[in-house]
Amino acid sequence: MKRKLLSVLLASSMLVSLTACGGNNDSAVTNNEDAAPQTQAQTEAPAATDAAEPSTEASDDTQAGERPTTPQGQLIIGAITDLEQDFYDPTFNSNATNYKITENVLHGYTTVITTKEGEWITDPMVVSALDTVENEDGTKTFTITLNDGLLWSDNSAVTAKDYAFAMLLESSPEMMGVDNYSATRYTYLDGYDEFNAGDTEVLKGVHLIDDKTFSVTVKADELPYHYDLAYASVTPRPIAVIAPGCDIEDSEEGATIMGDFTTDVLLKTIGDPDTGYRYNPQVTCGPYKLVSYDASSRQGTFEVNENYVGNYAGIKPMIKTLIIKTVKSETQINELKAGTVDLLFEIGEAEGIEPGLDLVDEGLVQKHTYFRYGYGLIRFDCSQFPTDSQSVRQAVAYCLDRNEFARQYSGGYATVVHGEYGLSQWEYLDSKDWIDENLNTYEKDIEKAKEVLAADGWTLNKDGGEYKDGDGTRYKDVDGELKPLVIEWCNTEGNPVSELLNTMLPEAMQDAGMELKTTTTDFPTLLTAMDHEGETMYNMYNLATGFSLQHSPWYYYSCDDKWMGGGYNSSWIKDKDLEASAVALKTIPFDDNDAWLEAWRTFQKTWNEKLPVVPLYSNEYHDFYTNKVHDWDTSSIWDWSAAVTEAWVEE
Amino acid sequence: MRTGRFLLKRLVYIIFVFFIISILMFAIYKAMPGDPVKMMLQGNIKPEVYQLQYDNMKEKLGLDKPVPVQYMKWITNMLRGDFGYSTEYRRPVKDVIGVPMRNTVLLNIFSMILVFAISIPLGITTAVKKNSILDKVVQVVTIVGYSIPSFVIALLAIYVFAIRIPLFPISGVRTAGFTGTGFDAFVDTAKHMALPVLVMSVGGIGSITRYVRASMIEALRMDYIRTARSKGLREKVVIYVHAFRNALIPVVTVTTWWLIGLFGGSVVIETIFVWDGLGKMMISGLNQRDFSVVLAMQMFYVILSLAGNVLMDIAYTLVDPRVKLEN
Repeated sequence: MKRKLLSVLLASSMLVSLTACGGNNDSAVTNNEDAAPQTQAQTEAPAATDAAEPSTEASDDTQAGERPTTPQGQLIIGAITDLEQDFYDPTFNSNATNYKITENVLHGYTTVITTKEGEWITDPMVVSALDTVENEDGTKTFTITLNDGLLWSDNSAVTAKDYAFAMLLESSPEMMGVDNYSATRYTYLDGYDEFNAGDTEVLKGVHLIDDKTFSVTVKADELPYHYDLAYASVTPRPIAVIAPGCDIEDSEEGATIMGDFTTDVLLKTIGDPDTGYRYNPQVTCGPYKLVSYDASSRQGTFEVNENYVGNYAGIKPMIKTLIIKTVKSETQINELKAGTVDLLFEIGEAEGIEPGLDLVDEGLVQKHTYFRYGYGLIRFDCSQFPTDSQSVRQAVAYCLDRNEFARQYSGGYATVVHGEYGLSQWEYLDSKDWIDENLNTYEKDIEKAKEVLAADGWTLNKDGGEYKDGDGTRYKDVDGELKPLVIEWCNTEGNPVSELLNTMLPEAMQDAGMELKTTTTDFPTLLTAMDHEGETMYNMYNLATGFSLQHSPWYYYSCDDKWMGGGYNSSWIKDKDLEASAVALKTIPFDDNDAWLEAWRTFQKTWNEKLPVVPLYSNEYHDFYTNKVHDWDTSSIWDWSAAVTEAWVEE
Repeated sequence: MRTGRFLLKRLVYIIFVFFIISILMFAIYKAMPGDPVKMMLQGNIKPEVYQLQYDNMKEKLGLDKPVPVQYMKWITNMLRGDFGYSTEYRRPVKDVIGVPMRNTVLLNIFSMILVFAISIPLGITTAVKKNSILDKVVQVVTIVGYSIPSFVIALLAIYVFAIRIPLFPISGVRTAGFTGTGFDAFVDTAKHMALPVLVMSVGGIGSITRYVRASMIEALRMDYIRTARSKGLREKVVIYVHAFRNALIPVVTVTTWWLIGLFGGSVVIETIFVWDGLGKMMISGLNQRDFSVVLAMQMFYVILSLAGNVLMDIAYTLVDPRVKLEN
């Protein structure tokens, strides 16, 4: 009892904290002996022999039972982020809960999707054929034929017209008039720019061939692209609901929407607060349909869409009702124990994990663990003196015991990685030994830090004399000017990562002859500084990142000014070697795994040496769920919103 | 006549102060680092498309204009009842602020009723029984009540009344999947409201009890109380009619601020109990640089505060005839 009371009180210390997140590793510091990185080998990739599995622990009495054949029961999912009444797509609302609901629960029948293993495929339940043609002008056309029998939740047929309409709608200037919708999903379509600018009413890159077939043509300058299959990924929208009375007309120039298609119409069909498709979509084609949304409690109730044909593996949802309820990290485990929620997902901090494990020990709940596809990090600004020097960045890394940091920060539920990869990637799983042999792990070593700094010219004291241990901050002669080795660090308030770094870094850096100056601010201000839009520039920041399934380092490490900042090259690094190693990946065909793996390793090695970022920790996520839940199988790339289709509950 | 002139003067004063504060607030928020359009356009959008979208968005929201022009547009729209556009929710502010305001007011009304229902009788009783054991116990408890931070009380309350003795839900406004209406819905919400109301009330009960006690002790020392007693009036009449009425001035002050506070959300309480109110919305708005939401709320509070001062002055005259508005 005391322990639980203590945990509740300790949790209060996190009350107003903004927790940064992230990370990956190959030197495990996890408390969980069973948990290893989940298997995420790409299907067509060579099988990873040492692929680690996600860890699931269930009490004995939950092992029995069979998956029902008709949907039953309800699952109350506790989410840290509020569910907003915003169900169109992440453009309108990208909060984590809405993102997952709109992408995987409510809307469906996307033509190209990612599998549980992270492989991009055409969904066989939706697409019967996909033909690819490389055109003479450098463009590429994907012709997609739909399966028979696809239905919207109101029993009307899902046709190619709905797919063509989706692309036209979401690229149109008319749609941009609906609450500032940023029509950016289909920017790669041939003719998008002219269509989006309103110069033409015909979208060249889209053709409606017949009721079951449509085509997508991709701009030449978007190719070649490693993930080009993803360009054929289209999610349908019901034209009869969103643009009633309108039709799609096809011509040689492309497809166009005929009829009363105006912003005013869309403001009613999409933007009406009561009946609009954005707030209350009643005709959808995902595994679940919206039943109700309670604005005062921000709870959403979803029920199985009986017309759903199943996910890519043909699996149909067997949980009848899903309810999304907001929980607080401080009390979420208590909610689980009290039965007010059935499932908690992606718990990454010890304050939540340990009481959850207590419940597992008591046999009250089950757990499933997996490593995060991303990490918490120190990001250097490589355009600022002195972190424009690779040696200075390396010296900072040598001043931090990252394993100890991960252990202290996460309570033992995190690991450390040494490159820009996640532990779920097949490339990592295939390269474990190679990584051990080839990547610098930057173990804490003050002498090594001194060595690299001295080699970089930081050999003077404040008087310009030779630097000796105990002289304090190192200096360097830069074009006749004596400059101190001062690192300006910007971090966010109430952030436990910053607090821990503050206890571990300054002294070690001082020993190496570096001075760390700290500025604490809020996140928007940090972002402004990181994008060089504020008045002050800093040398380093601590924050977190997650990888996309179309991870594209060729943008993130481009030397071209247009990619600097703005969420891309946030390290502002202009390094030709790093850029070349990243760009080499872009054009490798999707199915050429050998070439990809070789280029990937080269990129990781270059990155590890240039060190634009120091990875700090990669959380070991824990899902906790009541014993009535079965077949719960998540990973960092197959999250709760996908797993609900496979899971089932006892009534 | 004098009262009318006084009220007119105060109205002019309110308008003047309102505009000054509006300029200051607007300038402060505009000077804050962070770009609301940037916060809107999160996600990986290719640079050239991003720039186009960014410029379009900025123009549509009027953020490309000089700050004085932006202010004029904002204040004009505000006076017409158009509170602007929420960049966080991509909806008009009036559409996003209604539900949280209803939740906050609901919570605060019940809390206020509880606070006054307990603290006024308790304050009077402890004043009358000054230095008794009851008085000493209440003194200690009330000090503890308003000294302990509300988040500690909240977590303790959750532990005791929702975890150890599961009388109330841990958090939320409604039971997940609840479909009842009418009385059932009220009961369900009331159960969820119980703990936050209790926690919010602890501090209030502590402070107002002490206010009332101190004020009553002061009043009970007055000559007119001795006179009333010597006239043979019943003790209840002496206390509630003669002493309490004269002790009301500080109570009126506190009550007025509580009434104003009805519309101010408590960030801590709302966050811990996942009660979707204005406090949470304000913090979220600040973090997202959703200035339209934040400014609308701030200006609403400014109006409430200014109007509250006038109400307080009027209330003083009602409880104490010696107070004249022209004074």
